[in-house]
Amino acid sequence: MSTIEDSEGVATVDATDSNRIEDTEFTAGEAWTLYGSWAVTVINLTIFFCIWELFAWSGAINPLFLPAASSMFSALWEGMTTTAPPGAVISGSIRDHLLYSLTNLSIGLGIACVIGIPAGLLMGGNKYVETVLSPYVWALASLPRIALVPLFILFLGFTVKMQITIIVLSAVFPIIINAWAGVKTTEKSLLAAAKVFGASRRELYFKVVLPYTLPFIIAGIQQGIGRGLIGVVIAEIFGGSKGLGYLITRSADTFNSPLMYAVLFLLVVVSLSLINITRWLEAYVAPWRRIDML
Amino acid sequence: MTLMETTPQNVAPDQSPAPAPAGTAPVIVTEGLTVGYKLHRERKRLTALRDISLSVNRGEFVVLVGPSGCGKTTYINAISGLVDPWEGTIEVNGRQVTGPGPDRAMVFQDYALMPWRTVESNIRMPFEFQNLQVSKDEIDERVRRYIELVDLTGFEKSYPYELSGGMKQRVGIARALVSEPDILLADEPFAAIDAMTREAMQSELERFVAKTHQTVIFITHSIDEAITLADRVVVISFRPGQIKEIVDVNLPRPRFDYDVKMLPEYVELRDHIWRLVKDEALQSARGEKR
Repeated sequence: MSTIEDSEGVATVDATDSNRIEDTEFTAGEAWTLYGSWAVTVINLTIFFCIWELFAWSGAINPLFLPAASSMFSALWEGMTTTAPPGAVISGSIRDHLLYSLTNLSIGLGIACVIGIPAGLLMGGNKYVETVLSPYVWALASLPRIALVPLFILFLGFTVKMQITIIVLSAVFPIIINAWAGVKTTEKSLLAAAKVFGASRRELYFKVVLPYTLPFIIAGIQQGIGRGLIGVVIAEIFGGSKGLGYLITRSADTFNSPLMYAVLFLLVVVSLSLINITRWLEAYVAPWRRIDML
Repeated sequence: MTLMETTPQNVAPDQSPAPAPAGTAPVIVTEGLTVGYKLHRERKRLTALRDISLSVNRGEFVVLVGPSGCGKTTYINAISGLVDPWEGTIEVNGRQVTGPGPDRAMVFQDYALMPWRTVESNIRMPFEFQNLQVSKDEIDERVRRYIELVDLTGFEKSYPYELSGGMKQRVGIARALVSEPDILLADEPFAAIDAMTREAMQSELERFVAKTHQTVIFITHSIDEAITLADRVVVISFRPGQIKEIVDVNLPRPRFDYDVKMLPEYVELRDHIWRLVKDEALQSARGEKR
């Protein structure tokens, strides 16, 4: 074995601080480039809602179709803070429906992850599993999920089971396909390096392929959330008596447009928050893939 | 960088040129090595290297030069155990190569650092995968020492994406040296690094192996890099790669300090090797015909 002979002799490199990391000043200009977009967004949205409000007041459009922004927000506030009075047309407040939908979404996404992540990893890692499963994955992934709703209503009736099945089917394929792609695109040189330094087959999977695939899996979950939310709304619109989707149809039926707009607004907020959580998660687990532009 | 400050006067005379320890058998022996790849779609197989017989002595720095696509990388992959030979034998320390082993480490052209691991964790990797009989304290000490050797103290907790190309490759070199393997394989390690940093890295590598006495097989398509580093330059012909000539380089070491590029011998060697690879390079440039 060849060795370094003396440890003193090694430190021939003078550790000058020329290339060391040091603290610097944080200027206003830099603060603006970092946080300026936030300020712009706040102002932008404020203007948007103000114009909407003025437009609604002008009476150019029937308030049945376009209620004032303020009445949407007050419907939202009321729905989120109070329970519906007994005998109301819609049982339960927005809060209860939101909770119901979010619970189903989480259960559906959970099941989709439990099925999708191992399935995708196996498909990427094993050629036979890939060959056998890929036609089914592609067929089901390309089929519009809404076309399956009548079938599942037939099978399972107007039940929570049916709704969760729709959510799982909506969310599982992006998760499978992303995990699969992550394994398949693992950089060859990383695998070669791990092999040269003595990694076993098991270590290759757990210490190279899996960490490399993790951001792909998170991206899959991110897409799965979007699809899953569509699944939630579709399932509830078609066959349900609870949830945000149900609330949309019910409020339309009862000409309660502020409530309908409030639910739509809530869906946007829920969707954006969930997607931002996964984006943050992705940046946290895979900082080397962080995209600062988005 | 310190290289600039090291003058020939403070280089101990016994360091230059590094003599191979006397009476040692060759470390790497390849006999009639033929390797290639299968092209499944075209139902063909491509011979990358044909009939390579080469033995490398302990502590020797051998550089393989040749045009792109001449199979240089295949040679190193075969020695590292990543690729199985079609014909012929590879022996390392008298034992047939059947796969990767802790006696060989490799430096990659694209660094091949795990992006989710810090500098320190990347350098620690060989200890994690190879079950070497090294205690925890000894590992910590060695990792620290090699980070210091490649001048990355202060960057232990940095991630590869936060480093420049040159720094990344120094991590790659430290990772290859840290388990103190007999043999260092380097596959165009400086090809992706800018010209100035490359020269500095070359002299640093020369300094590292002068300390660690590793046997090195180094691939490049730069004739200057070959002469700057090598004890022997092996010129490989265009596909399928065969040994065209082996050129001994007897220039004083450390070569950066002696400014060997100014020596007439250097110019002669350079011209000689260029004549050898010229036709090959033209053939390679015209198109990679199979």
